Amino acid sequence: MLKDRAASGHQKYTLAASSLTRVPAHAMRDLCQNAVDEAVFAGAEYVDARVLSRRSQSVSTRNREIDSVSDRETQGVGVRVLVGGAWGFACDRRLSDEGAREAARRAVAFARASASRAHRGVTLAPAAPSTGEYRTPLERHPLDVPLAEKIELCLGAEEAMARDGIEVTQCFVRAQSETRAFASSDGADVLQEFCECGGGIDALALADGRVQTRSYPSSHGGSSAQAGWEYVEGLDLEREAPRVADEALALLRADPCPPGVTTIVIDAEQMQLQVHESVGHPTELDRVYGTEAAYAGTSFLGPDALGSLRYGSELMNVTADATTPGGLGTFAFDDEGVTARREPVVEAGLLRGFLTSRETAARLEHGAGGSMRADGWSRMPLVRMTNLHLEPGEGSLEDLLADVDDGVYMATNKSWSIDDKRLNFQFGTEIAWEIKRGRLGRMLRDATYTGVTPVFWGSLDAVAGRGEWQMHGLTNCGKGQPGQHAHVSHGASPARFRDVQVGVRS
Amino acid sequence: MPGERALELADRARRAAAGDEVDAVAHLEHSAFARFAASTVHQPTLVEDETVTIRVVRDGKLGAVSTNRTDDEGLRDAAARAGEAADGGRADPAFPGLAPPAEVPSVEGYDAETAALTPDEQAERAWTAIEAAPGHGLFGYVTSGVTEIGVASSTGLAVSQAMTDTTAVALVADEGLSGYADATSWKALDVDPAGVARVATDKAERTRGAGQLEPGTYRAVLEPYALGELLWYFGFSSLGALPFLDGRSFLTGRLNEQVFDPQVSIVDDALDPRGLPKAFDFEGVPKQRVAIVEEGVARDVVWDRRTAAQAGRESTGHALSAPAQAIGPIPFNLGLAPGEATRDELVENVANGIYVTRLHYVNIVDTREGVFTGMTRDGTFLIEGGRITRPLVNLRFTTSFGDLASRVLGLSRERKLVNQSDFYGERYPHGALVPAIATEAFTVVGTGSTPGL
Repeated sequence: MLKDRAASGHQKYTLAASSLTRVPAHAMRDLCQNAVDEAVFAGAEYVDARVLSRRSQSVSTRNREIDSVSDRETQGVGVRVLVGGAWGFACDRRLSDEGAREAARRAVAFARASASRAHRGVTLAPAAPSTGEYRTPLERHPLDVPLAEKIELCLGAEEAMARDGIEVTQCFVRAQSETRAFASSDGADVLQEFCECGGGIDALALADGRVQTRSYPSSHGGSSAQAGWEYVEGLDLEREAPRVADEALALLRADPCPPGVTTIVIDAEQMQLQVHESVGHPTELDRVYGTEAAYAGTSFLGPDALGSLRYGSELMNVTADATTPGGLGTFAFDDEGVTARREPVVEAGLLRGFLTSRETAARLEHGAGGSMRADGWSRMPLVRMTNLHLEPGEGSLEDLLADVDDGVYMATNKSWSIDDKRLNFQFGTEIAWEIKRGRLGRMLRDATYTGVTPVFWGSLDAVAGRGEWQMHGLTNCGKGQPGQHAHVSHGASPARFRDVQVGVRS
Repeated sequence: MPGERALELADRARRAAAGDEVDAVAHLEHSAFARFAASTVHQPTLVEDETVTIRVVRDGKLGAVSTNRTDDEGLRDAAARAGEAADGGRADPAFPGLAPPAEVPSVEGYDAETAALTPDEQAERAWTAIEAAPGHGLFGYVTSGVTEIGVASSTGLAVSQAMTDTTAVALVADEGLSGYADATSWKALDVDPAGVARVATDKAERTRGAGQLEPGTYRAVLEPYALGELLWYFGFSSLGALPFLDGRSFLTGRLNEQVFDPQVSIVDDALDPRGLPKAFDFEGVPKQRVAIVEEGVARDVVWDRRTAAQAGRESTGHALSAPAQAIGPIPFNLGLAPGEATRDELVENVANGIYVTRLHYVNIVDTREGVFTGMTRDGTFLIEGGRITRPLVNLRFTTSFGDLASRVLGLSRERKLVNQSDFYGERYPHGALVPAIATEAFTVVGTGSTPGL
């Protein structure tokens, strides 16, 4: 549930019991405002300030013993300024008036050091002053769940994976609570409280020098959602554990995926990563403008591709949605104070939108921002994915398979790589099955597929319907220097692609 | 005294906690980043932070809590929660206890001038790079920082270190061209941002008009940037004790076997002043030089206290901080022994093949077989008749590190310290000392885009 109401007075908002900060909510908002005032006084044309307090907890078990129990809190203030058309950012871990004002002054000084030689000024797309509050709707706060209960859950799931030939089993669960206050010199005044949790299992089978791994619900640290502990319970790790272990063992005896050009059907989990890498990152408008060129890369899309570039077949519909219930990229306001929105990125195969900041939207003269997110208090906000979904089509997975005479069904990402313009990719999955005359046949190991983004999406000829649609949350999307991790969610149904190169090995 | 503040903080934190055993790690960061794109500084970031991780052991049960609230109240809260975490857990039979006191080696790695760089000076260093690359856009960053680590334990262990580091990264890029260079050191004077930008410019100018290449296994020269990237992934997936014991490592079952060409020797040596030196790990255990591969023969992997206890070994000082310790020990100071060739001689040795400057988005396809995939970028060329003749588009490779290192045509006598940190989380500078390599086996499986923007 999103709450977007005018602040009715800072003092009336209280933080959840699981938040650790000793600074009350109204004081967090005041610190933001003090930082903004200080930076304006020091000469900034624009300022935004974030005060953030985060607590994260994780429990992991390995081979039915506790591997790690950890609890981490971090808090501080980050101040971003524009001075003479140049950005500056500084931060301070002290949640005090002194810390906030000092960060503001340092940010202004650092911006001023670049301003005299800035080649290009910065214009920000207009944004209405945001005021409001948001809190993740939840039933049971995951930080209120006793450690002993979390440990029992992990050990129970591991027990269900134990069998001969399984050399390593692992289970982990995580929880995070974050309070984020934001103010800007444009009049924004926002308080948001996020709660997320998740978990996952994996089993490693080993025989004759061959290793195979299966995981659930994904191989990227399980899956997380912005929700209460009920999400972790709903994953039902213990129920899935026997299948995970059995499949890991079966993969040891499976044949390798034969190379060739064929039809592939990809499961919802791998489709989510396909969307992330080949649609999400290339449509980040800062990448289009080259600001990630030296590290994460650029994009094959140019600014003029909007509305004209055919990204894929007419069955391809991708939406950026910062309002999806349970999404890790769900909020009421982004880290520039822009109100959350749901917007098409690709409609019927045509590029319809970019992920934008106020700066990049103004430069394109299209959009209004809404995708700026910072990893904590000590990093500048960057253009990031929020929740990016492949919209469902029609029918079931069985329907997709039924129309394949000879092909491969691939499930659960294992390896991933894509070039710096997000064109040439190679993905591998943990498990695959051959498809013969519309039915799944023998299991295959070490399956990979490769392609070029618009060609691959152009070969999309079926997307399964809403009943097959799943959403998973990733916590490891990297970008920026210094590096930042974003937490993002993706939803997708299984999808079918024709004439794809599979089975690439060295 | 550099490092003293970290030790004082670790000791305060340790004293705030109660348990059968207690230790605390203090991790302090003071850093500046001047990141630029299209020759404009666009992400300038100043970071000040200090984080303490307290571990409490009660009745064989372990709890760990980290906080950056380092006043007395913050430390008391964290210590209390670490105790509660231990009480709420279960005894861990694999936990070997906290590290005993030990004499840590004296290492270099701290430079007072680097530590004293002001934000203005950081910005100025970025501008010297930008001004050295006229005509095209410059992308990259200049950064420097001070990292202090202190470890204090109820066992009597008390160690600390301050490290400085600085890196300049330059990507010169425009439509249809791109070239890359970087430099890393613990001394700012050793890193010339303008010089780095000039090398990148020269490389970029030679990438215009890139041509295609058919997939296949090629002879290749890999510059230190490319080899260092592969070595990082190989180290992460195969050279730590946890994957080795699990059976996931390329080296599992292969110790004392000839796994690579005799020209290949790999060490992890945190004591080498030519790298980014470290005296101890996050358990306070002294760093040891570990010979991993000697003249092509697999000898060892790196260990922390938990994996060492499991295998009846001693820790080599490669533990991560909690909770990352769960992924096992990691070699942060890899080095590959140099050869005797010049860069030109390596190209001559290859005769016909490809020249690779840098890699992008490397990932593990098969850890046991040491197979990796990724793309080349920012300077890929064709070698014909022992000479670099023309630029190539970016290439997708899926190649075995084992094959690459077993069929070696030569190694350069000159080595480079290659930065391997992307600066996620708390700053912990690390990098590898690597030469360029000429190999018979670099497998290209596809082509990507042209160089540049």
